[in-house]
Parts: sequence; C-alpha cells; structure tokens
Amino acid sequence: MRLFKIMSALVLIASLLLAIQATLGKRKTDYDDELNKIQSDITNAKNDANSPPNEAAAKLSYLLYLQASLTGSVEHIRLAKAKIERTLQTFSSSEELYLAEANINLKLHQLHDANEVLNKLPDLSDNTKALALKADIAMQEGNYAEAKSSYEANLLRRRSWDNIARLAYLKSIFGDIANAEALYVQAEDEISAKEMRSYAWVELQRGFLDFNHGRYEAAMAHYRQAEKAYSGYWLVHEYLAECLGAERRYQEAVSLFENVLERSPRPEVQQALGDLYIFMGKPEMAKAWHDRALATYLDSAQRGEVLYFHHLASFYADVRENGEEAIKWAGKDLGIRQNFAAHDAMAWALYRAGRFDESLAEAKVALATGASDARLLFHAAMIHLAVGLADEGRQLLSRAGQVNPRYDAFHVHR
Amino acid sequence: MSYARLICKSLFISLAAMACLIFPLECPSADHNDPNAINSIFSDIQPSGADLYDLFGFPSDDKTGGEKVVVALTFASIPDTGIFDTDLLYRINLLPDPRISSSPLSSQGLEDILKYAEAIKSKYLVKNPSEIRVSFNKKNQAKVDFIGFPGGGFSKIIDTNKTVIIEAPDGNPIKTFIGGRDDAFFNDLPGFFRSINYAPQFYNIPNAMKTERELPIPKTLIELEGNRLFNFNPSKPLLGQGEKEDLPKGPLTWSGNKFYKDEKGNYRFVYSGKDARAGKNVNAIILEIPLKFITKKPEQDRIVRAWGESWVLKASGKIKTIPNNGGYSFNFLRQAWAGTVPADSEFNSDVANYKRVDVDGVPFLDAALNEREDDRQMAQNITLAEHYVKRLAHLGWGFGPSISALGLGTCFDHGNSPVSVHKTYALAIEALPRAKKCLFQRINMPDNSWNKKNLDIKPPRTFEIFIPNVASIDMDTTGTWPFGRRLEDQVASRFLSVFLDMETGCGGKPCNIETLQNQALWDNAPILPKTPPNPVKNDKEFLKEFPYLAQPW
Repeated sequence: MRLFKIMSALVLIASLLLAIQATLGKRKTDYDDELNKIQSDITNAKNDANSPPNEAAAKLSYLLYLQASLTGSVEHIRLAKAKIERTLQTFSSSEELYLAEANINLKLHQLHDANEVLNKLPDLSDNTKALALKADIAMQEGNYAEAKSSYEANLLRRRSWDNIARLAYLKSIFGDIANAEALYVQAEDEISAKEMRSYAWVELQRGFLDFNHGRYEAAMAHYRQAEKAYSGYWLVHEYLAECLGAERRYQEAVSLFENVLERSPRPEVQQALGDLYIFMGKPEMAKAWHDRALATYLDSAQRGEVLYFHHLASFYADVRENGEEAIKWAGKDLGIRQNFAAHDAMAWALYRAGRFDESLAEAKVALATGASDARLLFHAAMIHLAVGLADEGRQLLSRAGQVNPRYDAFHVHR
Repeated sequence: MSYARLICKSLFISLAAMACLIFPLECPSADHNDPNAINSIFSDIQPSGADLYDLFGFPSDDKTGGEKVVVALTFASIPDTGIFDTDLLYRINLLPDPRISSSPLSSQGLEDILKYAEAIKSKYLVKNPSEIRVSFNKKNQAKVDFIGFPGGGFSKIIDTNKTVIIEAPDGNPIKTFIGGRDDAFFNDLPGFFRSINYAPQFYNIPNAMKTERELPIPKTLIELEGNRLFNFNPSKPLLGQGEKEDLPKGPLTWSGNKFYKDEKGNYRFVYSGKDARAGKNVNAIILEIPLKFITKKPEQDRIVRAWGESWVLKASGKIKTIPNNGGYSFNFLRQAWAGTVPADSEFNSDVANYKRVDVDGVPFLDAALNEREDDRQMAQNITLAEHYVKRLAHLGWGFGPSISALGLGTCFDHGNSPVSVHKTYALAIEALPRAKKCLFQRINMPDNSWNKKNLDIKPPRTFEIFIPNVASIDMDTTGTWPFGRRLEDQVASRFLSVFLDMETGCGGKPCNIETLQNQALWDNAPILPKTPPNPVKNDKEFLKEFPYLAQPW
C-alpha cells in the first residue's frame, strides 16, 4: 500500500512536471515575437500622421525591409524594394536606405544594381558596411581573390561578428574547414546576448559546415543550439529538415518541411520537399510540390526577376532531367554571376543534354576556381567519366567522397 | 550547393543595424563617455544600459565609524529608470595606494611622460584591484559580489531602488543604493559637440561612417565665420539639441579665415550654458564604503583609485542559461517544487561569460582624448600616452586661438594664429613642442578649500590627470576634481581649463580650473551669449545624505 502511495505521488508529480513543460513549451517563439513586433510597427507606421513625410517614409521603408529580411519571403522583398526605391526618389538620400536597397538587390541577384546603389554612397572607401557588401558582390561574381582581400582588409578595420563570418564562409568554400570553424567560433565570441538571432545564424553556419562534410550528428547539435538561441526560426528548421532527410528520418523531415512551408512558403522549400519524396521513392507525392515550385520560379522569371535562374537550371537538370531547358537557365544565370556554382550548373546542364565535350570545358572552369565542394566534384566526375576520362573521373569521385563521404545523400538545392 | 547562403547572410546581417532609424524617439543623442560600439548618437545604434555616464568618488563627510569613500557609477537608464538589464554586469574597481609626490621632470620632454607611463604600468600590472561586481535577476534584484578585499570576499542579494546597509563579514557596514536617480551630470554637451564639429550630434550619421564624425574643421570655442555645418542657425534652433537632419550635400570642410563676429563686434559662443541632461535620469550603483574595508593600512593608503566598467553578456554565455526545448531540467523543476532553487542561480555573475564594453575613470577623457574608440576603453591607458600628446596638440590648435581671441592666455603655442586651425599629427614628438606647456603645467585650484588638512599636496600636472584612466580619490582632500570627483564639480569646464595658461593667462595672473565658470569673465568678454560654457549647478539639488544623488524625475 505504501509503495502504491509513493508510486501514485510520483506519477502525479511527473504529470505535473509534464504539464509545466507543455505549458512552457507552448510559449510564443522568439521568431514570432520579433515578427509580431515588426508587423505591429508597420501598422503603426502606416497610420502615423504626425511624423514629417520623409521620416515616416524612411521608417516604413526600414520596417518593410526588416520584415523581408526576417521572413525571407519574395513578396515581402518586392514590397520593401518598391517602397525603398520610392522613398529614395522622393526624399533626400539616406545611407541606411541605400544599404538596404543594395542588400535587396544582392538578394535578388541583381548584382549590377547592387553595385550601382553602393556607388552612390559618399565616402564609400570608408564605409565598412558598404565595403562588406561590395565584397559579397565580388563573391557572387566569382572574384574570389578580390572578395578575400576585401574581407580581410575590412576585418582589420572593423572586427565585427559579421565580417568574421563572411571570411569564415569564404574559407569553407575553398575547403579550409579548420580555419572556417575557428573563425565562426571567433564570430560567436563577438555576439552579445542582445543578438541571439545572430548567434543562431552563426550556429546554423557551423552546422551546415558539418553537414556538408557528412558529419550529421555534429550538424544536428549546432542546429539544435541555434533553435535554443532563437526559437521558431524557419531558416533553422529548414536546415534541420534537410539533415533529418539526409539521415533518412523521412517522416520527421517531411513534417518539418511542411511546417516551414506553412510559415515561409518559398519555392526552394517546395522543391526540397518534392526532392525528399523522390528520395523516399514517392514520386507521386513529389509531383505537386515540384509543380508548385516550378510555377513560382517561372512566375518570378516572367516578372523580369533573375533570382531563380540558378534554381531553374538545377530544377530542369535534376528534377525534369531536361538538359536543354537547364542550359537555357544556367546560361542566364552565368550571364549575371560567374562563380563556381554557376559554372557547375552549366556543366551539369550540358551533361544532361548529352553535350559532354562542352560540359567538360565548363566543369574545368568550375574546378579551376579551387572550390572544394562535394557535389561540384561529383558532377565533374560524372562528366569526366562520360567523355571517357575514366582515371580523372575516378579521382574526382574519390575527392568528392573525401570532402563528404555522404555526398549522395539527400540535400537541398540552394 | 550553398551559393545562396552568402546573399541570405548579407540581408540577414543588416537586420540589426537600423533600429534607431525606425524608432528615432527611442534613440536620444549620446551623452557622456560612450564608446562608439554602444554610442546611440549614431543613427544605427540603440541606447544601452552598458553606456556608462560617470564615475563619482570622494571622501564621505560622514566620519561616523571612521573614514568612508563614496563611489557612484551612473549609466543609461535602459530599459527604464530603476529597472536593470539582466544581460549586463557592472564592476567598480578600487585600488588603495599611498600618495606619492610627483616626480621631478628631467627635461619636460616626451621621455618624462613615457617614464611616468612606465612607472604607472609597472604599478598597475602587479596589483589587482578589489572589485564590487553587480548583476541582476529578472525580479530586478541585484547581486553584489565583493571580491578581493583585504577581509575576504562575500556576496549579497539586495532589492534595488532603496538604500541597503550590507554588513561585511568583518563587521564593516557598506551603504548601498542600486537604482534610478536624477542624472548628476550637468553639462552643455551639444556645445562641446559644436566646439569639435562632431557631426553625429547634428546629422544622421551611422557608426560605420568613421570620417564623418569629427569633421576636418578647426575646433573652437567661438564660431567660425561661414561654418555652415555647425554654427547656430536661428531658423533651426534645435538642430543638434535633440533634432538631427541628413548631412547636407557639399564639402564637409570650412574654408574661412576668421572667427565670426556680429555687427556689434561680438563673437558667438559655441556653448549655451544649458544643461543637456536636465530632467533626465540615470541608473546608478552608489556605495559608501569604510576605508578600512578597502585597505588594511588606511593611514598609509590615502589615495583610492576607482574606475567603473560595464560588461555585456555574450550570446554564448546566455545560451547556457536557456533551458533545452523551452523547458527546464528535471533537477530545476524538482528544486522549484521543493522551493530549494538557490537564489544566486538566477544571476549570471561569471565575468568569463561577458565582454567588457565601457570604462569610466577620468571624466571627459573618453570624449575628448580617446575619441570614444572601443579599443581605448581601459583604465590602464598607458599605451595611449603618445596618442594623448598628439590629440592634445590637435585640440590646442583649435581651442588655443579661440582662447586668445577672448583675451585669455593659453598654454598652447599656436604661434599667434588669428584663428583656429585644423591640424593633426602623425608623431607625438612633432606635436609636443606646441603642447608642452599644457601637458606639463600644474593646474591651479581656485582656492585652498580642497586641501582640508592643509597638507603638502600639489595639484597634478595635466598629463598626470589623464594617465591612468581612474578617479584618484585623495582621502585628505574634499575629493573635488582632480582629487576625486564630487557631484557638484563642473568637470566639463574644468577639462577645458587645461588649455589656459595657469601661470599668467588671466590678465597676467594665474588662471585656475574654475576660471571659465566665472560669470564676470563672460560679462566682460565680447561674446554672446554671456554665459559660462556649462551650467553652474545641477538641475536638482543633491542630497546631503546617502545616496547623495537626487531622486529620479
């Protein structure tokens, strides 16, 4: 009887603890809180009749920009871009608005426009934020040496977490993983408790570094740390879902991707979910997601936007296996950016089209950049094998395996 | 392939940078000695409780139970007056010392300053200060850690916003107040910014635009003719006094060659004499500490060197305190259930989890000589000795000619320049000949009331005031600046007075550190407005008893 009482008491306590946990678990996330605050401020700014028109316009422009930055939604980005452009045309110049516009242009792959906007800034050579963006543009254009020297010079002038993280990312591209990781750790050390989203973001990068080298457990640990630092962020969940998919924890991955899509219905994630269903051997489930993703990509292109050219190239190459269409979009992308990823996409599109000699030439350009990426190496291996360069193909395949022993696992096209 | 991540990064990274433009009302102009990293004068930086305002320190007039030192560290009242930020930690460092007589100068050369700096360095590198560390929990209570005191260390958790007497293990009572007060700083800060042509006070300048802080226009105490960017504009009377506008297009320089004079021949003062902090509050840590708690040898250790620091919690430190999955550990819940959660577990007072942000010791040092640079936030500022020589000469070329124009004598050798000059130096050795007298002259006190025991104590030379960056509280004086810092000291004007000729600058007679606050001087000078540069007293009367700073507004 006494034992029963003790057991009952323990059950009661356990239930209570679980109830407390559940209540605490249902709290709003950090992401929700931040987004709600921004959206409430947007509403207030729209109704603000007291501020001078230039201040009101600048304020609303920034709020829309913040919203776009947080949600990653192309709709929000378009909205912010239009408002910022109108504000800059109507009122006097503001450095922050120019930087915001340059950032948005970069996000939309409008590199030339981004550069033009930055060139409007007075004393550009002294503006570390603008110089960091210039270096980001150089990265996208494939001018890696220029990007590297700019990042390093900028870091000497302003040791901020974002400047350190930029250099870490560049190191990671070229396979200098130890230094990339060390720099990310340094970046984290610069981040205060007031910037937990930034900390989460750097944890995400560290996790992705591990993921890209097949270390899923380590990646997962970083992703969970990111979630802990800043809860409810769709970006963290997207990477987490990718890792779950790679680990073949398919149901969890599907569920998380669906959750991300509810909050941030972006075509890249729709494609990722479709890709995951293909991996799961469920092409019938994949089709709807792929169709939706493609429709959004094409709609964007019809609007004159260029940000999904790269996605279209890989979509046609890998999902539809339509080489000619893939070449079309890869060519458009390459017209804007000449980085290793754009060259790799073109090489892979040409491969899909059976134009192996041209594919080989393009793959060599991508490899010549020195980028150390498992999928780039895998594509190059396939291309070399296709043209009969078996030794080179095998070597490249071996290198891909060294970079990431799990290079053939599920991954998201980014 | 992750090519898009960098683009995402750019957009992401810029998220945090623009809050002040969105919430301008929450971003007042900077005050006091902000380091740039948290300097809300910049358009992209929000105010922070890590922004230290002032460190006051003086011997208490209350001798009951023996001599006591009053130390008050004030800082921005963020998130609110009397409400403290749990991500911040504050330290007040105390280092007792015997008074040493100032060493004779060998040549009044750079080597004297460097020799002095070296002596300070060896002293400070071997001695660890005692420390009072304050952190906060979510109930707005403060944990006060006393570390490294002769009688040992101990901790106490206290309520904020009321006076608490903390009894040390050796029985010494330590009066403590941690809470919101009226800002004890009274100063025409916009006037100072106008004098150094500091654009972020007047225009929307983000932190990253380094060359657009102090513009390359001569510094001056009286307006320059045609200085369109900084001269008082009657059509925009509040510009720089709370209002800002975008930086006008055109050159950010000045091409004139004389001081401005009105039709009656009056110069225009860059100062207004108004208290920029009137009606404003601070948060404060105020202590009245028995000297015998600070040192075992109170008869010998007559100087208490004090400085304050603010530290911000690192994200990596904060994450340790966040429970997994939004829930708490079983152990925590078990303790909560039993009511046995240790009280101090609510505080994060391990300094290894924090990063130092701001240091306050000598008033105005940061704004005037350190240029608020983040990497110059240190009490042991010995490495900055040569920089101070160059900077003082740069300021001298600005202030010196304007002091001469007003009929006063300056210690700076500007070669009879009729107008202020913008000049910078690459080498201290080049700057020294011009600034030598200012650096090496002893300052004069207005009378002998500071020396309450009539001891053989000499006021310091200027360079001795700036190095190290601490308040050197002399227990045998009243503690008025530079023998400490009392609440009623007008330190902004006293700082300016170091450019006066202390020997013969005032009509052939010695000037002193209160000369510029003398109303009669301005009544007789060809200048408008006829006011001392800074207010003569605080907007609220100080209290006669602890915690001395007035009630908050």
